[in-house]
Amino acid sequence: MLRLQSIKLAKAKHLTVPSPSSLRLVKKRMIAMDLMHHSSCFLLPTIPLQRRPSLTYALLVLNQNLPRFTPLLWNHAQLHLCADGGANRLYDEMPLFFPQEGASDVRRRYKPDVIKGDMDSIRREVLEFYASLGTEIVDKSHDQDTTDLHKCVTYIRDSASGLDKSNLCILVVGALGGRFDHEMGNLNVICRFSYMRIVLLSNDSLIHLLPRTYCHEIHIQTSVEGPHCGLIPIGTPSKSSTTTGLQWDLNNTAMEFGGLVSTSNIVKEEKVTVQSDCDLLWTISIKKL
Amino acid sequence: MPLFFPQEGASDVRRRYKPDVIKGDMDSIRREVLEFYASLGTEIVDKSHDQDTTDLHKCVTYIRDSASGLDKSNLCILVVGALGGRFDHEMGNLNVICRFSYMRIVLLSNDSLIHLLPRTYCHEIHIQTSVEGPHCGLIPIGTPSKSSTTTGLQWDLNNTAMEFGGLVSTSNIVKEEKVTVQSDCDLLWTISIKKL
Repeated sequence: MLRLQSIKLAKAKHLTVPSPSSLRLVKKRMIAMDLMHHSSCFLLPTIPLQRRPSLTYALLVLNQNLPRFTPLLWNHAQLHLCADGGANRLYDEMPLFFPQEGASDVRRRYKPDVIKGDMDSIRREVLEFYASLGTEIVDKSHDQDTTDLHKCVTYIRDSASGLDKSNLCILVVGALGGRFDHEMGNLNVICRFSYMRIVLLSNDSLIHLLPRTYCHEIHIQTSVEGPHCGLIPIGTPSKSSTTTGLQWDLNNTAMEFGGLVSTSNIVKEEKVTVQSDCDLLWTISIKKL
Repeated sequence: MPLFFPQEGASDVRRRYKPDVIKGDMDSIRREVLEFYASLGTEIVDKSHDQDTTDLHKCVTYIRDSASGLDKSNLCILVVGALGGRFDHEMGNLNVICRFSYMRIVLLSNDSLIHLLPRTYCHEIHIQTSVEGPHCGLIPIGTPSKSSTTTGLQWDLNNTAMEFGGLVSTSNIVKEEKVTVQSDCDLLWTISIKKL
């Protein structure tokens, strides 16, 4: 089971004993919980060196049009998987990002390590092409109870050898848009695997879970993301959420569908903090460059 | 709209498909578009001062409160363009149909149709098999459901609990022409739209 790393260094800075009145202040409340840091470094051309342990990325391609930054994500990832029809997308659309090169050359360069899933969408010639190049084909057509994303996340968690999983982040393209029940099923997967870092990406937005068991620091990469953002209590009403760094910060604010949901918010500072009594989806817009 | 009628002149199509009302922030509409429709008599309702609600929210409120000459006793609001694009917009639009749970509001895209099934009713969904299905789902958006029951689906629910992080009924299949749903919480019903 993957475990999220607690930030001992940051905790050491907050070793003051809180007085009763100061307990109302947001910063002092963060003593009680581990910090989880988030940063969309994977959207930058080069991932900068950081004090914190760096993340290992896996890229998962599902069956929707590839976002324009897919080659960039591919370059950062150590493991590349396609879920079933995602292999068709890779085969058809990766060459479109490199119009000056031959399609075959592009396809060979962007060859997935694994293709996994039901195998009811992948075209025969695509399957044969990648199989002939050495891609591992993992056929789970007998398992109808879980979505392709679920199968692939389980595979990465349990099987993928040679991958440093101690600080893993799974980047997923193609999980949004298309059939709405698929999109909701994919959101449910990131809720079920709340202990793993899984980021859903489209041309317009980035989404990941903020588990309630952590205080969150989100370091905004202003060159590639923002300013539009939101916090979504997707499955459970939140009695109390608190933020800093947003235009409309929450301050022990209740949120729920049917009532207040933080959407069309604006990132105001380079660091956003979030603390909540329930799992929230964080979403931020991706800049069209 | 002219793209759907390539044999006709664009101006003719635009005149035929003239909106009665344009409403909202007015921060996206192009000047020439606004002037074109205004000159044809479209009512322009500028709510640029109200930043607390989404465009969908403003329009649903307008339809509920203002739209005269409309029989509102059995109204159903069909919405296109609420899905896709920015995810926070999509969630904001889903929240609007949750907030106006007493109104019939249907969100439509090329792939899917979504509407709310309020918990205060038993629901009968009559499937139009020529245009929709078979893929469907029931989504406990915002609140866990302790008990939901259905008939007519491949994987029916039977006093089944659903919640994000656990079971959510997606990639289900419509098996009969009538689907029934009963739940202790508001559910989103979604069904695929056939590509014909």
